[in-house]
Amino acid sequence: MVLIESITKHFGVNTALDSVSLTVSPGCIYGLVGTNGSGKSTLLRLISGVYSADGGQVTVDGEPVFENPEQKQKIFFVSDDLFFPPQATVDDMRQFYRAAYPRWDEARYQRLLELFPIGDRRKLSSFSKGMRRQAALILALSCAPEYLLLDEAFDGLDPVIRHAVRRIISDMISEYHMTVIISSHNLRELEDFCDRVGLLHHGRLLLECAVDDIQLGFCKVQAVFNPRPSEKIALGGIRILSQELHGSVATLICAAGEEDALAAVNALSPMLAEAVSLTLEEVFIYEMEAVGYDYSKIVF
Amino acid sequence: MFSIDSRSRMAIYEQLVQNIIGLIARGVLQPDDQLPSVRNLARDLGINPNTVQKAYQELEAKGMIYQAAGRGSFIAPGESLTDSIVQQKLKEARPPILSAKRAGVPRERMLALVDEIYEKE
Repeated sequence: MVLIESITKHFGVNTALDSVSLTVSPGCIYGLVGTNGSGKSTLLRLISGVYSADGGQVTVDGEPVFENPEQKQKIFFVSDDLFFPPQATVDDMRQFYRAAYPRWDEARYQRLLELFPIGDRRKLSSFSKGMRRQAALILALSCAPEYLLLDEAFDGLDPVIRHAVRRIISDMISEYHMTVIISSHNLRELEDFCDRVGLLHHGRLLLECAVDDIQLGFCKVQAVFNPRPSEKIALGGIRILSQELHGSVATLICAAGEEDALAAVNALSPMLAEAVSLTLEEVFIYEMEAVGYDYSKIVF
Repeated sequence: MFSIDSRSRMAIYEQLVQNIIGLIARGVLQPDDQLPSVRNLARDLGINPNTVQKAYQELEAKGMIYQAAGRGSFIAPGESLTDSIVQQKLKEARPPILSAKRAGVPRERMLALVDEIYEKE
């Protein structure tokens, strides 16, 4: 289990993370989403023990990770900014990781190398961006980590490889309860793959919930009113993230399930009202608008 | 046989539940047929095993499948199945009827269509 307790991290005058707390249960896939510069990578670097926190603490299975080699053997972090030593080949990296990770699975490595035909004798510096990602993932999965941290690791992979990697990760979770924390801007993919998601913005955790609760916790209601409402619509007890009025049609984004939101809107006796659930991407955009991160009015 | 529509708004576990109910309704899956293991289905679809687990749990709660310890999950025989399929079919019929109602199709014409289908088809 990864336990993050009111963690804070500063870089000079910038606060990258501001008392963020969250828990990642074993065998679960946790998605980190957020705006650019919101602190996703910083959080992953704190979990993997690359950074030490300025406040609060991160523990993995009850132990701190920073400068704790025993804990680090359980964790593999695939950075968004891959580094390989100059001149290194995939085989060189295999020898490096095999020495560092006692759970190294040579059979898995050989199978992965067959599956992803990138070759283990070529210099990594001659690889394309996507091939370097593949190499990093082959090495990460061969280490059979208990905790796999992926920082935008799927970005730059072609759709076939993406699907293959998802299948392998899925199988490793079934096999030994591997825990995965993944950051990405591909919300559609995260929504389908994760158990829980955390939404970061300006170093704070805006929203943290099970993916299935997004459908239960948010919806869009479209209602036709006659006469058209003269002022902003308020639904007692239900938070409205955004509302728009076009003629007599009102579109409300509500932080409530479809049934509750529809009942509240129907109490205002509209001519017609219907509700649809929201996707993670829509929740992301509306939550961001609600805190002023809104580019919807921009027209070039 | 099992598929996921990544563009659908429906949650993946819900899609799986509907998928399996649909296969039972069409007779593709028969009582006591074995379902793929959680691990195999999750791997084949490239989805989270916990999602498959959740779908199976929901189907079990609905009485549509049963789990035999150590052997896997199987389609349940019996009455609850027929009833669930009726519910499922009525649920599927709802959106087109609703859309016809909103477009102003009179109730009598809709009922006439239902009668026609039930008598002639």
